[in-house]
Amino acid sequence: MSADQKIDLTANHQILEIKNLSVNYGGIQALQNVDLIVNTGEVVTLIGANGAGKSTTLRAISRLVNPRNGQIYYNGRNITQCAAYQVVGFGIAHSPEGRRVLARQTVIDNLQLGAYIRSNQAKVKADINRQFEIFPRLAERRNQLAGTLSGGEQQMLAIARALMSRPKLLLLDEPSLGLAPAIVREIFSIIQNLRDTGVTILLIEQNATMALNIADRGYVLEAGRIILTGQAAELLNDQRVKSAYLG
Amino acid sequence: MDITLFLQQFLNGLSIGSAYAIFALGYTLIFSILGIINFAHGAIFTLGAYFTYALIGGAFGFSGLLANAALPVQLPFALALILGSTLAGFVGVAVERFAFRPLRRKGSDSLLTVVSSLGVAVVIVNVIQYLVGAESYTFPANIYGNLPASFNFGTVEKPVPIRSIQVVIFCVSVTILTILTYLINRTKYGKAMQAVAEDSTTASLLGINSDRFIVWTFFISSFIAGLAGSLVGSSVSIRPTFGIEFGLKGLAVIVLGGLGSIPGAVLGGFVIGLVEAFVPADYSGYKDAVAFGILFMMLLIRPQGLLGRRFVQKV
Ligand SMILES: Nc1ncnc2c1ncn2[C@@H]1O[C@H](COP(=O)(O)OP(=O)(O)O)[C@@H](O)[C@H]1O
Ligand SMILES: [Mg+2]
Repeated sequence: MSADQKIDLTANHQILEIKNLSVNYGGIQALQNVDLIVNTGEVVTLIGANGAGKSTTLRAISRLVNPRNGQIYYNGRNITQCAAYQVVGFGIAHSPEGRRVLARQTVIDNLQLGAYIRSNQAKVKADINRQFEIFPRLAERRNQLAGTLSGGEQQMLAIARALMSRPKLLLLDEPSLGLAPAIVREIFSIIQNLRDTGVTILLIEQNATMALNIADRGYVLEAGRIILTGQAAELLNDQRVKSAYLG
Repeated sequence: MDITLFLQQFLNGLSIGSAYAIFALGYTLIFSILGIINFAHGAIFTLGAYFTYALIGGAFGFSGLLANAALPVQLPFALALILGSTLAGFVGVAVERFAFRPLRRKGSDSLLTVVSSLGVAVVIVNVIQYLVGAESYTFPANIYGNLPASFNFGTVEKPVPIRSIQVVIFCVSVTILTILTYLINRTKYGKAMQAVAEDSTTASLLGINSDRFIVWTFFISSFIAGLAGSLVGSSVSIRPTFGIEFGLKGLAVIVLGGLGSIPGAVLGGFVIGLVEAFVPADYSGYKDAVAFGILFMMLLIRPQGLLGRRFVQKV
């Protein structure tokens, strides 16, 4: 087998496969028969209006909500019945909507807890320093309580904390929400760099233009259903996407 | 006030205050992780005292199912204390498993869990009464082996005698406080526990198994309750209801210190212990009233307590 073929094989390897996923919150149907695939090495974005079911999709992958129907496979393994705390151990890290940093703990402690499942403390320490290189603002505030950080800094901490588990698949839920444009650009360039280091990313964004610009492929979610999917470049030029999400 | 008398009351206050502090810490740990006051805590305090009493070979009286029964072994007090507190810890774990977890799984209102814990308290007190009767038992005087009856903290001319048991209570409590503070603030598992307390959903995203930490929290706080019960019980005497008063005092302590605040529970414990110690002997019947009077004033002046956060929020 040649080296080229090997690369090709991994490129088509499905790291995540969601089949026919439906989720209800009481009487509300948040997701209906969603099918979604993420290949190793890709950046895939999930776009859609507020309330479309984007966060619910990530919450189902992280096992924070129980599907009514459907399966979630990670590297071919059915994880639909796993407990939430097990998921990060498989290699999936979730930076949740609203950042959810641990406000009462310091920046360093948040990062250390991001590596909760890892036992090699020397490597964890090295990774914390690596996060400080990626996010110099966090380095300056390492001993500050996370609750006292600005919104942008909290978002950086949320991403850095997710990276501390050394994920194969990173789930990012609206990393640009509520941030100033300069910070948003900074965060997107970091996402792009992450992708270049080989992390597979499933990115949720309301800012569809920016998301499609760094993604390989995209899915469009509307009222709990996937209504469109394709290469990011195609979606950027799609008339329906343009009028509904790129305005 | 005479300086020796002052010193004596002060040291006695520190001693009982340290017991209040570790007992209240148990309430606080469970409150901070579940947002619920565990009313069974006082009953577990009582139970721990009975376990320890039984393990040193103490005999039970004439009423109750176990009348005149005693264990064939007589363990040394220190060993009985550790084993008895461990048993209390296991009872705490069972309480969590059967009275708290099913309600949590269903997402029930926290008020229901509080009522459930009150129910557990009543059951424990009644089971004790059923098994060994309602009379009070006094620990034998010789449980401290070679320790003198009291230590003199003053001079030969101006003695300040403090009962050995008070000194033991203080030393054990301060040791427990030190160990717990270290575990909670300096170790990975302590920080994970704090993460569960702050936001259990996010904690689970980080790979932290909340249920496991909740079980450990119940074990540790019940172990400490059993320890406090055994120590305080050995300095007075034990009855099935003796934890109830203490339990109420503990509530005063945590509200005074600030609900959910660990340093607050410690500070509150010492404040109430010291204030009580300075209630004049003629008015000693009003000790509890004084503690709750302080609590009441505190609620008026500073509702979040001495060291509490202004808004106690559970996510
Ligand atoms: N915890 C919840 N309880 C009830 N309904 C919810 C809950 N979370 C989300 N929903 C509903 O499910 C739908 C999808 O929500 P969500 O996945 O958060 O959308 P998005 O992330 O795309 O904005 C919405 O209609 C929302 O109101
Ligand atoms: Mg959302």
